[in-house]
Amino acid sequence: MLYIIEDAINGILMGSIYGLAALGLTLIFGVLKVINFAHGSLLMVSMYVAYWAVTLTGLHPYIALVLVVPVMFIFGYLLQDIVIKPIFKAEKNVREPITVIIVTTGVWYILDNLTLLIFGPQYRNLEANPLRGKMLELGEMLISVPKLWGFGAAVLTTLAIHLFLQRTATGRAIRATSLDREAASLMGINAYKIYNLAFGIGTAIAGVAAVALVPFYNVFPTVGVLFDIKCFIIVVLGGLGSIGGALLGGIIIGLIESVAPQFMAATWTEAIVYGLFLLVLFVKPSGIFGVKHDW
Amino acid sequence: MNILQKIAVPVVAFSMLAGTSAFAENVKIGNIEPMSGPSASLGQQGKAAREMAVEEINAAGGIKSLGGMKLELIYADSESKPEKGVAEAERLINTEKVHLLTGCWNSAVTYPTTAVAERYGIPFVVPVSVADKITEQGFKTVFRIAAKDSWWTRDQFAFLKDMQAEFNTPVKKLAFVYENGDWGTGFAAQWKKLAEEGGYEVVLDEPYPSTSTDLSPVVQKIKRAKPDVLLLTSNAADAILLTNTLAEYNVQLKAIIGSGGGHADPSFMKAVGKNAAQIFDIGEWETDVNKPGAKEANEKYKAKYGQNLSGEAVDAYLAIYVIADALERAGSLEPAKILEALRATDLSSGPGMIVGYDKVAFDETGQNKHAALVIVQVNDTGNGLERITVWPKNARRAGYTPVFPMAVK
Repeated sequence: MLYIIEDAINGILMGSIYGLAALGLTLIFGVLKVINFAHGSLLMVSMYVAYWAVTLTGLHPYIALVLVVPVMFIFGYLLQDIVIKPIFKAEKNVREPITVIIVTTGVWYILDNLTLLIFGPQYRNLEANPLRGKMLELGEMLISVPKLWGFGAAVLTTLAIHLFLQRTATGRAIRATSLDREAASLMGINAYKIYNLAFGIGTAIAGVAAVALVPFYNVFPTVGVLFDIKCFIIVVLGGLGSIGGALLGGIIIGLIESVAPQFMAATWTEAIVYGLFLLVLFVKPSGIFGVKHDW
Repeated sequence: MNILQKIAVPVVAFSMLAGTSAFAENVKIGNIEPMSGPSASLGQQGKAAREMAVEEINAAGGIKSLGGMKLELIYADSESKPEKGVAEAERLINTEKVHLLTGCWNSAVTYPTTAVAERYGIPFVVPVSVADKITEQGFKTVFRIAAKDSWWTRDQFAFLKDMQAEFNTPVKKLAFVYENGDWGTGFAAQWKKLAEEGGYEVVLDEPYPSTSTDLSPVVQKIKRAKPDVLLLTSNAADAILLTNTLAEYNVQLKAIIGSGGGHADPSFMKAVGKNAAQIFDIGEWETDVNKPGAKEANEKYKAKYGQNLSGEAVDAYLAIYVIADALERAGSLEPAKILEALRATDLSSGPGMIVGYDKVAFDETGQNKHAALVIVQVNDTGNGLERITVWPKNARRAGYTPVFPMAVK
């Protein structure tokens, strides 16, 4: 029993970090109605920014947030403004512009290969950081300290984004655009500016996830791909566009990955995760918290 | 005979008379390697080593029996995907008109890709994909330089037996943890057989996906199974993750034995640091191997590419020299002639022979029957962490005593 509790705690902590990684994806989807295939790559870029920020300054990894979040916000904002917006304008009469998806796929390949070119295929990790390898001992249970920090970051970020969308004028404008682009435009909201903003925020959240990951995870050019697939499953599970759903979806995946291997070979957990993914698509395609009329 | 052939025959005949030097044709060697994706780091090493060998051979006058013809490397990226490997082999053979193929590092890619070469009758030199079945398909065109995986596991168990005797520390319970691809499951099947023969108890047999983002569930299983010795087969990212997580959960073992791959990746020690200390690993080759030219080749490689030669790199380097040797004896670019020459290979000297064993000669399946392995221990003897050859005992670095069982950390 103790084993299962220990595994469940690890699953919840790790899962919340998956949820944090998926949060940006779900936000961008909710507003732009576009699946951002470059999301994993944005996470990867964020991890490199965080890695270098910590390596060069020697500061506590979480202080890197001060740098990573604004840098990634600007990166996402400009990426949307310069690369993706022109395609949007060309397809402005389509509600879910397919070509944008293709563009984000292109961005994914370009970013991954550019990183490979610049930094090489080596695996890096923050060897000397105050969180590295730290474990919290609760009786016989061991809990990873960097994952605990990640859990805190995930919950706080989710809460902050939720409040931002609900309580601020900009947040309301983002939600309005998400609900109905045309109507929002008629109310004087500049939809393209909102898109830039949403993309920037989504990318900045990937930055937070990167900061949560680098103290205990490897950084390499294709690291985004590993999280990409997970993020898509989480987002569908939690409901496309749902902020709380991303966190919950992440925790569900984390729990499966952590608890199930105690009863079967670790290989099978992947099958369970994908099985669940299919089940959700069949039974409740809008996900746990998804808005039905959107589909 | 159609019109094209009518023209082609005299042209070919003429070109043969004129001698190849008049035509700037090269020997084209197609190389299918993972240049991106999860094994990109290993693909890059293979590429660098091939380039170094080709530069040396070309600078020394190319293939003399072919009028000083130069070697030319053409690369294709497998992304570690079997279907990409197969498609690229088709392209290299049909479009690039390569004379030989090498690759593909990942056994899962090499296995179906060699079938393409066999169909076209193009020689395929495999430096280091270890799955046994690659040379057990009855193919006439496949030649493997490295030891096959059953030899790797055979040597891991021989090592374990020797260590128990040398340090008088009995080992009873084994745990097998391996990536769930062709390579890992191939190793595990051999381990199971060898464990049974050796009278060991297997307390954990755990395949895991190499793309795992969290391996603490697997580490928990290891901890709870309480094995004496842990045998691992991991790619780079997961080897790093496993080693760090094992240290975090303070798992106490008598020994951890890797199977090359990720544990041998140069970024492994850098990324893992002191958590790597005392881990055993099996490999093709080490920089401290006592062979003429090995040190110089390593220094040259390091100056050029900023890393030490790895087992993978040395096999790729040797593969090019084996190919050059065969071409020299074949004196022709006819696939059949090259194949015949490869089959008759008996190479025991030359710049390529910096491997731990003394000879390259292929058996009837195309396997290099002299290939052998070494076991190293990662440790710090005052020069930082390094891989120190410990087994076979007569190859052990002078003055080093292996740490067995592992010290409690």
